[in-house]
Amino acid sequence: MNPHVAGITDVGALRKANQDAIDWRVSEDNRQVLLVVADGMGGYHGGEVASRIAVDTVMEVLVPWLSPDEGVPEEPDDAIQFAINLASERIADQRAADADLAKMGTTLVMAWVIDGEAHIAHLGDSRCYLVQGRELACQTRDDTVVQNMLDDGSIRPDDVPHVPFRNVLTRALGASSAIASFRRVRMAAGDSLLLCSDGLTGALPEDQWLSLISVCETADEKVRALVDASLDNEAADNVSVVLLILN
Amino acid sequence: MASFSQLVDNVVVTTFELDQPEIHVGRRGDNDIRIDEISVSGHHALIEAVPNAYLEGTVDYYITDQNSTNGTFVNELRIDRRQRLNSNDLVRIGWNEFRFIDEEENALEKTAYILD
Repeated sequence: MNPHVAGITDVGALRKANQDAIDWRVSEDNRQVLLVVADGMGGYHGGEVASRIAVDTVMEVLVPWLSPDEGVPEEPDDAIQFAINLASERIADQRAADADLAKMGTTLVMAWVIDGEAHIAHLGDSRCYLVQGRELACQTRDDTVVQNMLDDGSIRPDDVPHVPFRNVLTRALGASSAIASFRRVRMAAGDSLLLCSDGLTGALPEDQWLSLISVCETADEKVRALVDASLDNEAADNVSVVLLILN
Repeated sequence: MASFSQLVDNVVVTTFELDQPEIHVGRRGDNDIRIDEISVSGHHALIEAVPNAYLEGTVDYYITDQNSTNGTFVNELRIDRRQRLNSNDLVRIGWNEFRFIDEEENALEKTAYILD
């Protein structure tokens, strides 16, 4: 399979700083792809630091596995959780060392695709979607108070934009526990995987995504179309999108 | 504490404190908020104050129409099931308008944070 990846992180229409961080890597033999998006939070530039630590640590720990000499790990989820734990420790250390960073934390969503099988992990409300033909399916469940209330029937999707504590996460790096949620998805040729921060989901309704990206040829053009449409909608938050297309 | 203020021509005429787990609204005398007006059913609506199960210290307010004749509306949409109320929502009981205010809501942090 031939993977094509593109990603953009944009400050958005209203924020002064970008607290999102993204990265990706395709192995030389094209068998593996690593995609990461993190959305930082907490105090004066703390969010930027936390999301950067999360993304850099994940890449530092997992990129060596992408070498053809290394061989794929038996349990990719364990390697992912190891990387997340290390990132969490580093964030905790910085929180303890610098009062300005004492409240920082970050979401994390990542996918490690090995021979077409995507190992998806996340904490927080950054999401991963699988695009198959004309279908868009979210593969992650937001770790938020609002998601819990949706699941127990207290509120409906229409209520979400009005709930005052819709920004409260139940899990993230920076909390005492950094146990991620995992999912495996088998991808076929033509399928795409889209990772994003809540700046995209907040600014651009999901039902508009497919029509926007279906008219674009390349991964770069598709990501640009989504981010531009979010900015046209005055995206209130930072917007980040990383897209993998398997051809 | 949240309140429910009756409006007439956009002016507050009466304010009711929502200080019980259940507040019954209707025309009959056994309601907590009694509205003696012909468009209001005997037992018209129920407002519930429910501690949020996931966010300690937060109380959510829900309104349910109790099969009233003329309906309960939140921001001019007729409700057909239990509906969470947000501060500043305009609630209509038959033809009577109320403003729901939750002072606690304004004190909540506006930026993202982690529950830990």
